[in-house]
Amino acid sequence: MFDHGQPSYADVNKDILSTMLDTGPKYWMLLGGTMSVAGICFFMPWIYQLFVGVGAAGMNRNAVWGSYLSNFIFWIGLSHSGTLLSAVLHITNSPWRKSIYRSAEAMTLFSLMTAALFVMVHVGRVWFVHWSFPIPNQMGLWPNFRSPLMFDVMAITTYLTASSIFIYMGSVPDFAAVRDASTGLRRRLYTIFSFGWRGTAREWHTLGWAYTFFAVFVIPLAVSVHSIVSWDFALSAVPGFHHTIFAPYFVTGAIYSGTAGIVTVMYCLRKFLGFERYIGQVHLDSLGKLLILLSLIWSYINILELFSGWYGGTSFELEAMKFRLFGFYAPLYWEMILFCAFVPLLMLFKKIRMSWNKMLVISILINIGMLTERFIIVATSQPRKFLPDAFGYYLPSWVEISITVGSFAIFATLFLIFIKWVPAISLYEVKETLKPLRRDA
Amino acid sequence: MAILGTFAFEEDFLAAAKNLQSSGFDNISLLSPLPLEEAQEILGLHKSPVRHFSLAGAIIGAISGFAMAAGTALVFILPTGGRAIITIPPFLIITYEMTILFGVLFTLLGFHFVSGLPAWRDRPYLSSACTDKFVVVVEDVAADRVAKADAIIRDAGAEEIQHVEDGQ
Repeated sequence: MFDHGQPSYADVNKDILSTMLDTGPKYWMLLGGTMSVAGICFFMPWIYQLFVGVGAAGMNRNAVWGSYLSNFIFWIGLSHSGTLLSAVLHITNSPWRKSIYRSAEAMTLFSLMTAALFVMVHVGRVWFVHWSFPIPNQMGLWPNFRSPLMFDVMAITTYLTASSIFIYMGSVPDFAAVRDASTGLRRRLYTIFSFGWRGTAREWHTLGWAYTFFAVFVIPLAVSVHSIVSWDFALSAVPGFHHTIFAPYFVTGAIYSGTAGIVTVMYCLRKFLGFERYIGQVHLDSLGKLLILLSLIWSYINILELFSGWYGGTSFELEAMKFRLFGFYAPLYWEMILFCAFVPLLMLFKKIRMSWNKMLVISILINIGMLTERFIIVATSQPRKFLPDAFGYYLPSWVEISITVGSFAIFATLFLIFIKWVPAISLYEVKETLKPLRRDA
Repeated sequence: MAILGTFAFEEDFLAAAKNLQSSGFDNISLLSPLPLEEAQEILGLHKSPVRHFSLAGAIIGAISGFAMAAGTALVFILPTGGRAIITIPPFLIITYEMTILFGVLFTLLGFHFVSGLPAWRDRPYLSSACTDKFVVVVEDVAADRVAKADAIIRDAGAEEIQHVEDGQ
């Protein structure tokens, strides 16, 4: 489990807490950089769009959904492996989960927040966004719960709440460790955050039960969230969208892209926070094997999507399929196939699977492919709807491209803030993987 | 009075806890930097009442989820193509999400209720219990039983024993 020898319990506290408590100028420069990019690339173009209207985006009459929604699906997808993987591996008692799950769960939370921002950008008049919640109002107006968009509101709100509670509760014992290692205002804050945790057998027992229940609730929830996002598309009778395979297609894609995201984040944690001792080859190997499995499932579902479209034989569906494979966006489609179906096969070679640098490149390529996949789903179907007079093209404007770039900076900013407030690796769960110290040893 | 015994080894800590328990000390807390199943067994902790909260939350969520979807459809009627106003398949999705939401929220409530956290008063504690030490805390010890508790903790191999007066 540990590449550089087993640490002691005290080493675990020292190594992990020092990444929180000791902050150098590099960190502030990096945080300043990501915040600046987020401000310039995301918030300024958004403010511009609020002033001039959603016409600033490249969406048009035939393509009323554009990159904002493809980004929304991408970020929701990226959120999937964190909490889901953490919950599944907790239930199945997999020890390799323990070093990586905290950051993976944080990834879930911040991806969801970024995804929620895209909804606000997409709807245009963001100051009415509260109308989508069932809040009693003077107009007697209530949301339509038969709409898949309302399923989305409920699912994402629940997912955000459950993921926040899941990560917070798992962090309470570690907050107590931060409290004990700090002084002044930080100590007072963490006394509140840790609820006065002492680590008694009763507290551990209760937390263990509650945490297992959270995990049991979160697994079906995560599956439902991306299924529901897929129904935003599949429940509309648009060629290219209207497939029964969409829910498992989206869920698989989400877990796939999220797992690749975990590899990227783990690489950064090792490199920049010096967690080589805790995140080792065993994690890389396990994540690599999982990625191969997911890539094969993803490829199978893609073949099945094409097969069901071809086998259905309606001219509208065939036209949408032909447009996707050989039309204007064909280079993007084949790039997606290359990055998500073929490149991951390289991980079949152990030498590649065990190399952090190569795995970083593969994980980034997978996520580029997955971002492209979401763009293709949105961009190739609506502008190819039924009759040729409705045919058109969609290309994102500079505002949309800038906002897409800015969203990555928002995610990075939130993550950088997170690593200074919450131990990026769970202290007590790492201690559980260590052999207990015995008197006779 | 409260007695705190600090141990470096898990096995000594568990032995002390067992001996204290069998000698009739009933107000014992076992502090450790990681969850220990054996410690929970010594204190007789098995199934947690948290599960009742989870079940209650899930049931309340399911009922209120369906009621919300159906109720809002009835007060704001949107007829679409002659379809029923209360439609089961879409409302089941709302019900499903609310089941999980309330299940999670009630589990959280259950955690706080059962664990007694947040703690509103100071309790005997050593910060090393969050790092690498195991601490046995015996509270409300009668003056004539202090020596016995001390002896049990010392014989089990405690590194340090501290006495804390109530309210300190």
